[in-house]
Amino acid sequence: MRGLYSSSGKWWPGVIPLLILWIVAAWNITPQVESELAARADAALGTSVLDKTRIAAAGRDITLTADAFSEQGRSSAVAAVEAVPGIRLVRDRTRLVPEVSPYVFTIQRDVVRVTLSGSAPLPASKARLIDAARAVLKGVDISDRIVLARGAPQRFDAAAVLLVDQIGRLKEGKITLTDNAVSLSGMARELGGREAIAAALRNLPEGYGVAENVVEAPPYVFQAVKDPVASTLTLTGYVPDNAAHAALVEAAGRKFFSEKVVDHLGASIGAPQGFSDAVATALGALSRLSTGTLVVSDRSVHLTGDALFDAAANQIRGGLNKELPQGWTVKADISVKPAGSPVDGTVCQQLFNELLAKTTVRFDSASATIDKDSVGLLDRLAQTAMRCPNTSIEVAGHTDADGDEARNQALSERRAKAVVDEMIKDGLPPERLQAYGYGSKIPLASNDTEAGKAKNRRIDFVVR
Amino acid sequence: MMALFDFYWGWLVGALLIGFGSGWISVVHRGPDLSRNGALGVGGIVAVLIGLSLARLVPGEPGFWLDLLLVMFAAYLIGCAVGSWLRYWVVSRQMRRS
Repeated sequence: MRGLYSSSGKWWPGVIPLLILWIVAAWNITPQVESELAARADAALGTSVLDKTRIAAAGRDITLTADAFSEQGRSSAVAAVEAVPGIRLVRDRTRLVPEVSPYVFTIQRDVVRVTLSGSAPLPASKARLIDAARAVLKGVDISDRIVLARGAPQRFDAAAVLLVDQIGRLKEGKITLTDNAVSLSGMARELGGREAIAAALRNLPEGYGVAENVVEAPPYVFQAVKDPVASTLTLTGYVPDNAAHAALVEAAGRKFFSEKVVDHLGASIGAPQGFSDAVATALGALSRLSTGTLVVSDRSVHLTGDALFDAAANQIRGGLNKELPQGWTVKADISVKPAGSPVDGTVCQQLFNELLAKTTVRFDSASATIDKDSVGLLDRLAQTAMRCPNTSIEVAGHTDADGDEARNQALSERRAKAVVDEMIKDGLPPERLQAYGYGSKIPLASNDTEAGKAKNRRIDFVVR
Repeated sequence: MMALFDFYWGWLVGALLIGFGSGWISVVHRGPDLSRNGALGVGGIVAVLIGLSLARLVPGEPGFWLDLLLVMFAAYLIGCAVGSWLRYWVVSRQMRRS
């Protein structure tokens, strides 16, 4: 042992090669150690929820730079790195992401792209929102301007994803979530889009509500064109549903008795309130025109065309204003067709017969109130009567044989009288018209069948 | 430091060998001894360096290099001690034989 001590005084020369070895070793292994420790630190962070994580190693010291989303997440991340074997010191450069209030998330759609902006609480929720947007908007450019921030209201993800889903229904517009309140503006992509969005918003998570919804829908358009040359009535646009569709086409068939109804209607939700009534009224007005176009767009009705005579034009203008449901506006550009050339009584009679062969004047059941579907026919009958001014005309009412004959007689008289009154309103001189009732005395067909009875219930015009 | 043993065990063996060589030679070497003051100075410097290392006062890469130096120095000293002791053992056996 003494020898060991005495020789230790001579150990120093080896220090010089040792120092050289040390320098070479440091040169060689420092980069390896640094990259190994950085990799270990990265692995240790594993499931920690951080953003903008950067790990820099200098020797055995690690500088951890990251945005954390809670104080606990931040300290546990630092602790995880500190626990990595081999790491000497951790320089903690983590910070909490800023807390914002109010917490705003915005989805904006314009012609070319959809921009997601505002705040999201976690990288995962940000990714979910972007994935949801991609799923809804296949092929549309999505611009991500979401910034991570703390302070999101509860169930933010569910609410925000639901809103992202709605952007697909907008052609352009903006959806903003401010804390718990949703506001929407813009134009729906298609009819019914507005209603679909409103329905979807009812599924917002508890605590969320709609502050403002001013999404507009494309106009709900219904169009009818009466073409006397082709003798067609062309219907285009939308109706609320299939039942309304069938009813409308059937009513059009009754009102436009001499035209073929060409039906290009499609069913769609989003009809304004009172749509069916308004369209029925407006179609009635159109049926009185010789040629005309009806355009119903949302709650405005625009009717253009030629009435058969002056009184009809005035009645159409006044009637539309009165009969349309509340909140509807009407614009009627009605001109009057030039009066037909005068003809003699025989031709007049022939014209009456032609008209009445196509249809007949309809009344409400067991009453002398003229059905609205017959106004077009009455106008044509009046116009025909005007063409033979030197004749007198007998308006003859007939009924079927059902019921009491005395009542039938009275009914036929009242019905004939009602028609005559209508004609006088149209401007025909009262002295030219006589109303007669024949009850069921002059049947045209057997009263044993429904079809025969229908044929017997009629108004005849006889020129004298 | 032990967790990174894989990276520098080769270099430690190198330091150990240098130490072994120095210790082996030192027994029969006739050169000057390290003076008492020199030894105290070296001891003092090493003590300060160990203090710095344990207190983790040197940051980043220099800190790592300091640790590395101390570990290699320790290996060197062990090498010296083993080398000297072995050489003594060999020399004293030869002397006894002759």
